[in-house]
Amino acid sequence: MTQKLQIARRVAGASAALAGLLFLAPAAPASAHRIEKHYTVDGRPVVSIRNAHGHIEVKSWKRPEVVVVGNHNSDKVEVDTEQAGNRIEVTTHILKENLKPADLQADYNLTVPEETELQVRTDSGMVIVERVFGDMTFDTVAADVQLREVAGYLAIKTIGGSVVCTRCIGRIEVNSISGNVSLLQPVSSSVRVQTSSGHIYFDGEFHRDGIYSLRNYSGLIEVRFSDTDSFDLTATSLQGKVENQAKLKPDPHGGRHVSSRFTTAFGTFNEGHAKVELSSFSGTIRIRRRD
Amino acid sequence: MQCHEFEQVLEQQEAQRLPADAAAHLNECGQCRALVTDLEVIQAAARNIAAEEAAPPEQLWLSLRTRLEAEGLIRTEEAHAWAPRRVTAWLSVLPRPALAGAYLSLLLAAAVLIGTQVISRPPSRAVPSIEPPAATAALDSQLNTVERRTVSALHQHNPAVTASLRQNLDIVDNFIALCEKSVREEPQSALAREYLYGAYQQKADLLAMMMDQGAGGD
Repeated sequence: MTQKLQIARRVAGASAALAGLLFLAPAAPASAHRIEKHYTVDGRPVVSIRNAHGHIEVKSWKRPEVVVVGNHNSDKVEVDTEQAGNRIEVTTHILKENLKPADLQADYNLTVPEETELQVRTDSGMVIVERVFGDMTFDTVAADVQLREVAGYLAIKTIGGSVVCTRCIGRIEVNSISGNVSLLQPVSSSVRVQTSSGHIYFDGEFHRDGIYSLRNYSGLIEVRFSDTDSFDLTATSLQGKVENQAKLKPDPHGGRHVSSRFTTAFGTFNEGHAKVELSSFSGTIRIRRRD
Repeated sequence: MQCHEFEQVLEQQEAQRLPADAAAHLNECGQCRALVTDLEVIQAAARNIAAEEAAPPEQLWLSLRTRLEAEGLIRTEEAHAWAPRRVTAWLSVLPRPALAGAYLSLLLAAAVLIGTQVISRPPSRAVPSIEPPAATAALDSQLNTVERRTVSALHQHNPAVTASLRQNLDIVDNFIALCEKSVREEPQSALAREYLYGAYQQKADLLAMMMDQGAGGD
C-alpha cells in the first residue's frame, strides 16, 4: 500500500470514526455523574477546558449562552465549572491517587456562541470543534483533534495525537511529534505545520501572498495543487526524496540557492503569488496535481 | 504541609532557608526533594549560562522576555531589569512547569547561539570532520539529566499517556541521533544543523510537558 493511500485511509478512517461517534453519542448510556450548567455571556466568551481523558465536543449556536454538559462514571474525578465574567472554565479534578485509566474519563459537550475563544487542554481521547469562530489553542498528549469549519488563529500542539482540520479559516499553526496532520480545504494565508514522524497532508488553495510552511523529519509530506494556483516552491528533503508534478519556472524573485546535495524542487508555478516551503529530513515530499 | 504549600513556600524562600515545617516536609517527600534538586541544577546551569563569555544578543533575550511576558510568567516591571545575569534571580520565582520550559528554552537558546557561532567560523583544513560543538554536548547532557528525573517522576494515572510520552521521547531521541550524525558527516550543512536544533527544541518542549504531567497530580 502506498503512503498516499495510507494517509487517505487514515483521514477517511478518522472521518468515519468521527461520524460513528456522533451517531453513537445520543445512544450512550447515562453516566453515573452528569452535570449541566448554563452560563449567560455578553459578547465573545473565553472558554477554557482542562481534562485528562475523554471526549470533548464543542458546537456553536446563536444564543449568548454557554452550556456545559459533563459526564463521568467514576467518583474519583470531579467536574468543576466556573464563570468569571465572560470567562468560563471547565476543569476535571483528579480526587484520588491510584486510578484506573477508565476512572479518568470525563466527557464534555459544550454549546457556545458562534464567536467564542477556546482553550482546550487534554491528555488523551478526542477533541471535536465545529463551527466556532474565535482564536483557539489545543494542547494534547495523545488526544486527536478534529476541527471543522472553525475560524480564527488556530494553534494546535499535540505529542502523538493526530489533527484533521477541515475547511478551517485563519492562521493555522500545528506542532506535533508523531501525530499526522491533515489540512483539507483550508482558507488561510498563513499555515505552519511541524511534526517529527507524522505525515502531513495539505489539500487546499494557496492564497495570494500566503506563506505555507510544512516540515517533518520522516514520514510523508503531500501537497495538492491546481493549475490555477500560483506559488513559489522550495521543497527539500535532506535524505529522502521529492516527487514533483508542478512544472516550475526558475524563481523570478531570486529564490535562495539550495545545495544540489539534497533532493530538491524549487521554482515558480504561474506568477508565484504564494510561498510554499516544504522540508523533510528523511521523508518523502510529494507535490501532486489535484485530480 | 502539602506539596503545593511547600512549592508556595519555595517560591518565596531559597531551599537553604526554609522554615521548619517546610524543611520537615522536604525530608519526608521524595517528589519535593526532586523538585529542589531540579531547582539547584537549574540555578547552577543558569549561573553557567550567565557566565558565558559570548553573551547572547539582546534580541534573543528580548524575544524570550516577550514570550515569558506573554505567558504571564514575568511582570513588566521585572522585565526592565532584564539581562542575562538576572536569569538566576527570576528562575528562582517561577512555578515548576514554567520553570522547566523556561530553563530548557534557555539551554536551547544558549546552544543555538553558540552553535551558530561555530557554524559561522571558517572550516579548518586540518579537521576533516567536526564533532558536535561543546555547547551541544552540554545541552545533551543537561537534557538527559532532566529526562531521567522527569521520566521517573511521571504519574502513571493513564498508561496510554505515559506510553505515548515515552514513545515520543524515543522518537525525538532517535532524530537527535540521526541529525547529529548528519551534522558530523556534513558539518557545513546549515540545514542539518537547523534540523538538529529543531529536534532539541522538540525534546525541550516534550520534557517541559512531561514535567507538567509529573507535577499535575499533587
